[in-house]
Amino acid sequence: MNKLYLIVSREFSERVRKKSFIIVTLLMPLFMIGMMLAPSLIMLYGGSEQKQVVVVDRSGIVADKLYSGPEVTFILEDEMSKAEACNIYNAESGIFGVLYIGSTIEARDSVQLITNSSSSMAIEENISRQISKIVESEKLRAYDIENLDEILASVKTDIELSTFLNDGTGEEATMESTSSGMNYILGLVLGMLLYMVIIIYGQMVLTSVVEEKASRVIDVMVTSCTPFQLMMGKILGIASVAITQIAIWALLVIGASKFIVPAVFATDVTAMSDTMLQTLVGTFGDTTYIAMLFCYLLLFIVGGFLLYASLYAAAGSAVDSVQDGQQFNTVIMLPIIFAMIVMTSVFNDPNSPMVLWASLIPFTSPVVMIARIPFGIPTWEIVTSLVLLYASFIVTTWLASRIYRVGIFMHGKRPSWAELWRWLKS
Amino acid sequence: MDAILKIEGVTKSYTGHVALDDVSLEVPRGAVYGLLGPNGAGKTTLIRVITRITMADSGRVLLDGKPLKAEDVYHIGYMPEERGLYKKMRVGDQAIFFSRLKGLDRREAERRLRIWFDRLNIADWWNKRVEDLSKGMAQKVQFISTVVHEPKLLIFDEPFSGFDPINANLLKEEILGLRDRGATVIFSTHNMASVEEICDHITLINKSRNILSGAVEDIRRAAGGNMFEVVHRASDEVLVAALGSHAMAVGDSCGIVGGYRSVKIHIPKDEDVRSVIAALNDRCELRSLREVMPSMNDIFIRAVNGTL
Repeated sequence: MNKLYLIVSREFSERVRKKSFIIVTLLMPLFMIGMMLAPSLIMLYGGSEQKQVVVVDRSGIVADKLYSGPEVTFILEDEMSKAEACNIYNAESGIFGVLYIGSTIEARDSVQLITNSSSSMAIEENISRQISKIVESEKLRAYDIENLDEILASVKTDIELSTFLNDGTGEEATMESTSSGMNYILGLVLGMLLYMVIIIYGQMVLTSVVEEKASRVIDVMVTSCTPFQLMMGKILGIASVAITQIAIWALLVIGASKFIVPAVFATDVTAMSDTMLQTLVGTFGDTTYIAMLFCYLLLFIVGGFLLYASLYAAAGSAVDSVQDGQQFNTVIMLPIIFAMIVMTSVFNDPNSPMVLWASLIPFTSPVVMIARIPFGIPTWEIVTSLVLLYASFIVTTWLASRIYRVGIFMHGKRPSWAELWRWLKS
Repeated sequence: MDAILKIEGVTKSYTGHVALDDVSLEVPRGAVYGLLGPNGAGKTTLIRVITRITMADSGRVLLDGKPLKAEDVYHIGYMPEERGLYKKMRVGDQAIFFSRLKGLDRREAERRLRIWFDRLNIADWWNKRVEDLSKGMAQKVQFISTVVHEPKLLIFDEPFSGFDPINANLLKEEILGLRDRGATVIFSTHNMASVEEICDHITLINKSRNILSGAVEDIRRAAGGNMFEVVHRASDEVLVAALGSHAMAVGDSCGIVGGYRSVKIHIPKDEDVRSVIAALNDRCELRSLREVMPSMNDIFIRAVNGTL
């Protein structure tokens, strides 16, 4: 036990004293904020350069009503035929493409976009939306309605849906307000965080085992302790680094929730105009809720990491270089990547059968379950998931240690799966 | 003989080749024991069998007469040939870590390590990172980490590789010092000079087999074939006449300083050396007669080539 403690504390103190650990710990929250802001930032700045499209309009009703926006400008060339336009505005001209509109717009193949390079979804969408609108309003105009523009403007409607969790009373004052938008962002951030921690820290285990093996430290170590102590020491040491890192993040976020959010948004939240900001401040201002989320996060990260770390350790023990480890690495990562894919469907329906199962089955459960938690799910599901996760950690660790204690002494070519199986049984 | 370690019929084969073929040997308690052999002979494999890093296919390893168990290995000091140190760690921290793994508490470990660091002139390196050390420097750190817990049995794989003559000598002195304080030392090497100077016993392994084992003195005497060097002042004819049937000169005498001449003679096993001395003393103005023993280097080469 004393030896295990020594190995754990060596792993821990060597890693947390590294500059890279301190930098990542401090930069990650910024990165996460960036992730949360990314969608709107991409909307703002992400648009690529403005494209130029030459319009040849045979119908005579569309061309002059096309609106040139930040995405695309339209150049009218009504004198030319389609063939002429295509010939002149070829790839060398720097023009994105030629938009040809036939005389009967709604006929098949009547509206064509002939591009010089690969087309773009955004531009296609932009053009077809504009043309549909133009044709629609042309049709409405044909009915000869007075004050058409005012009527259209007054008809335009935007409904805001307020969502609550049913508490049996139906009173909005007592019911908890829910927001799938906020849950979506929280779930995504938590799921991503978990995914990244498992992969990054898991790889750390693999790399570190390989290094220990390649530098032959392992030869000295095994004359001082058992291979199992060595493996568990490494895993627990790195796990404690992960816990430390997340605890620091938790303190930062909880501190922000307790002190910074109330200070900056001192005014009544409900008075805010932007509903998104309202829920954002509401959620992050709720310190107990944030602290609870971090508790779950910690439980699932530790469980998920422990489950995968032993596999990474076994993979590392079987190879002589990190490159050789890539094949095993890929296989280990498959369930995590699958979990990420399932996670994205959590946001459509956090209670669909596939999502439910994926959040209970250990290999995918950490990532999927943590993404579901912000949506408010029954506690028994979370507890079951945790119990299964920690139980299977014991199983994988046992299996991995059997491969590990053979693998660390093997040098030479990378073992095949069949060999690994033999080591497992030996 | 009181053997601290006994190896009985150890065989180990890897796919396609046999690394150890029925190797047996006994290491006397308190000896400095050399494992010699050409590259690839199986020395390291044997050491790895003793430290239980490699499991033998058959045969036994006995420590103090009992089969070696996993826990026994924790009381052995083992220095592998390839230096096993954490590159990013600071030297002092690392040495303390290894000492504590071997059961010393932090304060005792640091106390002993400071003494050792001073002794090997590396006290200034305490806070350096291992990756900044040269091979020889790292080796000193490794050596200290191996011996600091004062194990009864020490195993060094090629301890002198990477050392300049001064430091190799320093290390030799330390190894002898450890023996004098009661430790048994096993080391592998192909540095034959070091074998003559510090080994009491050797085993020569060639092509996975133990081809020669025993006390260094016995082996050299046996390999020497009763050769003696005579320093005298007579002509060769007088010398040969004087030797008569007692012994035979091998080759002619050659002059050395002070008008003396030196010649090698062979004295048959059943002949009394004293009668040769008497015969020579009468007629040849004998200055000295001493037994010529082959160097371990000669023995090594002859044994490996099968001409011993």
